[in-house]
Amino acid sequence: MNKQTPALLIRLWHSLWTTLRHAWAKRETVSYPEIKRPLPGRWRGRIVLTRDPDGEERCVACYLCSAVCPVDCIHLQATQRDDGRRYPETFRIDFSRCIFCGFCEEACPTLAIQLTPDFEMCEQSHGELVYEKEQLLVEGQGKHPSYNFYRHAGIAITGKAIGEGVGDTPPVDHDTNLP
Amino acid sequence: MGTMRIDGHEIPFQENDNILKAALAANIEIPYFCYHAALGSLGACRLCAVEVASVDPAQKPRVVMSCLEFARDGLSVSVSAAAARQVRQRVIEFLMINHPHDCPVCDEGGECHLQDMTVACGPPYRRYRGRKRTFTNQYLGPLVHHEMNRCITCYRCTRFYQDYALGDDLGSMRLRNEVYFGRFQDGPLTSPFAGNLVEICPTGVFTDAVFRQHFARVWDLQTAPSICPHCSVGCNTLPGARDGTLRRVRNRFHPELNRWFICDRGRYGHQYSEHPDRPLTAQVAGVKMSYREALAAAAEQIKAAGDKTGGLGSTREDLESNAMLQTLLNKLSGRFATFSDPQLETATAAAVAALQSSGGAPSLAEIEQADAALVVGDLTAHAPMMDLALRQAYRNGAKLAILHSGPCLLTRFAATTLTVAPHEIGAQLLHLNEQAATASNASNQHKKELADIATCLTTAQRPILIGVSETMSAPEIAALVQLATALGSHARLAYALPGANAYGTTLLTPTNSTNAVLEAIELGQIQTLIVMGNDPLGDARLGARWRAARQRLSTLIVLDCVATTTAEAADILLPVAAWAERGGTFVNYEGRAQGFAPVFQRAEPLPNTVEVLADLAHCLELTLPDVPAVLNNLFPGYQTPFPGTMGPSLPAPSLTMQTDTTIGTASITHPGHWQVALTSWYGDDALASYAAALVELAPAAAVLIHPTAAFKEGIEDKEQVRLRGPAGTVVLPVQLNNDVAADTIALARVTLAQLGVGHGDLLELERIL
Ligand code: SF4
Ligand code: SF4
Ligand code: SF4
Ligand code: SF4
Ligand code: FES
Repeated sequence: MNKQTPALLIRLWHSLWTTLRHAWAKRETVSYPEIKRPLPGRWRGRIVLTRDPDGEERCVACYLCSAVCPVDCIHLQATQRDDGRRYPETFRIDFSRCIFCGFCEEACPTLAIQLTPDFEMCEQSHGELVYEKEQLLVEGQGKHPSYNFYRHAGIAITGKAIGEGVGDTPPVDHDTNLP
Repeated sequence: MGTMRIDGHEIPFQENDNILKAALAANIEIPYFCYHAALGSLGACRLCAVEVASVDPAQKPRVVMSCLEFARDGLSVSVSAAAARQVRQRVIEFLMINHPHDCPVCDEGGECHLQDMTVACGPPYRRYRGRKRTFTNQYLGPLVHHEMNRCITCYRCTRFYQDYALGDDLGSMRLRNEVYFGRFQDGPLTSPFAGNLVEICPTGVFTDAVFRQHFARVWDLQTAPSICPHCSVGCNTLPGARDGTLRRVRNRFHPELNRWFICDRGRYGHQYSEHPDRPLTAQVAGVKMSYREALAAAAEQIKAAGDKTGGLGSTREDLESNAMLQTLLNKLSGRFATFSDPQLETATAAAVAALQSSGGAPSLAEIEQADAALVVGDLTAHAPMMDLALRQAYRNGAKLAILHSGPCLLTRFAATTLTVAPHEIGAQLLHLNEQAATASNASNQHKKELADIATCLTTAQRPILIGVSETMSAPEIAALVQLATALGSHARLAYALPGANAYGTTLLTPTNSTNAVLEAIELGQIQTLIVMGNDPLGDARLGARWRAARQRLSTLIVLDCVATTTAEAADILLPVAAWAERGGTFVNYEGRAQGFAPVFQRAEPLPNTVEVLADLAHCLELTLPDVPAVLNNLFPGYQTPFPGTMGPSLPAPSLTMQTDTTIGTASITHPGHWQVALTSWYGDDALASYAAALVELAPAAAVLIHPTAAFKEGIEDKEQVRLRGPAGTVVLPVQLNNDVAADTIALARVTLAQLGVGHGDLLELERIL
């Protein structure tokens, strides 16, 4: 008998025992899709565009998400409403390219773009994975319920004149030199 | 001049350089806001703090503003010293106290000097929790958007607008930490250079209102070095495009031409290429066709016409396309011309010949150095940046003299202004010649002014004569040349030519060709006419004649990128790429050949003019030499100028000046008739007149008359009058204007075209009672 034989046998038995133990152990695997696991809220899945507490589009079309995106899968075109609000005329995410890194969410200064725990996005073709703004824009504020960018920004929109933002003083009257 | 040390680097500096300027020239970064090479130092922002070691080692080093401290030999400067860094950090922190939370909706973002400096010097977080000061904004017209909250009080805007460009409707108001930069009242900025505020303002207070309508961030823009296609100055520009559309144009530094600035026509004129009516599909007899089909149809017509084919090039098309069209017509033994008006052709040819023989026109940088200048015509409307260069000369004490017939923005800065009817310009130039040559007292009603101009030109060290060739006749151009000769070799001569490539095109134009082509059409000797980037049917003076001649043509083939009158009347319309969509060469008023690169492609790319001509030749089974060969043949030693370089001067064989330069001495008065003067404005040229935002600023059509002349005839302000011209009648309100000569009415180009008259023609004015 070789000198190493006992050690080998022990290792063999050990693996057999492990297999045996797992055969009766509690299952981690669930029968997806009949059974779905709860995912944490910070899970990085399908991207949505949220609305501010007034129900208006949050995205101001600043292009930061598209700039930071490492795979260049966000495309948008900015435009402006008559009331002074900037918004994306088109907003497109190519989910067949998106790697769900979450950089866009981190870059977004208005908390508009958010990743959600939904990952079930199978489609028959690449084309169907290109989501337009209609598919991205949701009702509601997502993870950040109260933030309203325009209340803090310095520009005027209908319903918020210059000087009416959070922490603003009333505008200077530049027609006079009196203090 | 000497050397100093900055953080251990030995750097050279010139006499009177400040530390900042020398450091920037040596590629050493010192953060700054208010300094600008064109505007100098002010010391308003306090960001350029550096530490300067004392000569006496016992003394502590001092923190100074590098833009206010002269560079001295042996000076030891530290940008990275803790004390200097701390000053800069505090400056930024204070600036950010009131700065709005705007970057996401601010158009400056991505190319914002304040963003850069905050990241480079500032603290990463705002500590101040107090309230922010706010300002209301003003409507400043369709070109510049105002967002006053973002101001950091660097005074660059007013220093540019008032001090540099000599505008008077934008300034600073109020005091303390509440200084406001704007107009007294809302309203469009009146300076032809207002658009430069967009670039000069280091923050997002002034942004491009046209770009804003279709905004993209700077990092998404495709750019390439280009040349402005809107006038003969040839300013260097940097167009930016995205998703197959042209979004904006910015200045590109050229040390001898435009340097840091461009005019508003150059900045906003590009909108013509996004005009909704721009032809994008080929058409045959008004029916949309594919390019190939239209090309085949055109080739068929040209084949049928054979040597009865004519071609009309253009001063706004590049050198390559004009040369190729000429070559194609040579192959066909057809006739070739480039102008739609023979008078304009002779005048431009005379101007180019004069520029060649006078040893080359001064560059804009040289015009700025002039100490006296005579301008004939309305320079601002025909070469805006030449006007800006003259304003610099004026700021440095140059005496300006202006000889003109209609409204003219430069008169405000003129030491002497002579306002005479178009026919009299030549005579005045002759008188001036006599005065300059003999210092005699010419017997003339404008004796004093002429004497003043003559003295100021003859006593000057660096006098410059500038003519606007579009409103001058060939003899007048010759008279200006004579004056330059009389003044001596130190006098320089320049002409504002009609079109970005007027110089280059004129070199290709056979003498008297416009007349020849027009007459040949009228005699039926031309059956098929190829018009490339030109609008003969919309010509101011001869439009009616061209339209009549057009009836005699069997086919009119038009290659263009705007919907001109001619393009609309075309039998076969072949849309071509606009300038930013293709490369080419423009030759500016100095004879400087400057290449421009293709910036972007449209989603459905259009062929460029040269390609269309090559395809046409292919369909005709002709073999054309390639562009370099053609140009080398025309201009021996020609080298294609590389876009983005200084631009070599075109090695051109010299044109001979027409010798017939007699000037009718006295003005003939025609009772009941008025002489017509063209009044243009800075946003007007064949292409920019399709730019929506600029057109919004165009002066309303009116009949401009001098108050005295109007009073003599009993005509009142705003009264409707009827003008009858060979091509039609128009009814317009009268507008009294002090800048119009006696016996003269000044009319806009569109009105001239409706009437069928040109600059200097006679017209009857009828009151509607
Ligand atoms: S970063 Fe946010 S606000 Fe900016 S474009 Fe993207 S989603 Fe819109
Ligand atoms: S000026 Fe600059 S820092 Fe200020 S909001 Fe605009 S981009 Fe941001
Ligand atoms: S408006 Fe712009 S250029 Fe003018 S002072 Fe303010 S920041 Fe400077
Ligand atoms: S001066 Fe002429 S070339 Fe220069 S930007 Fe203006 S229009 Fe263009
Ligand atoms: S650049 Fe020196 S103080 Fe502004």
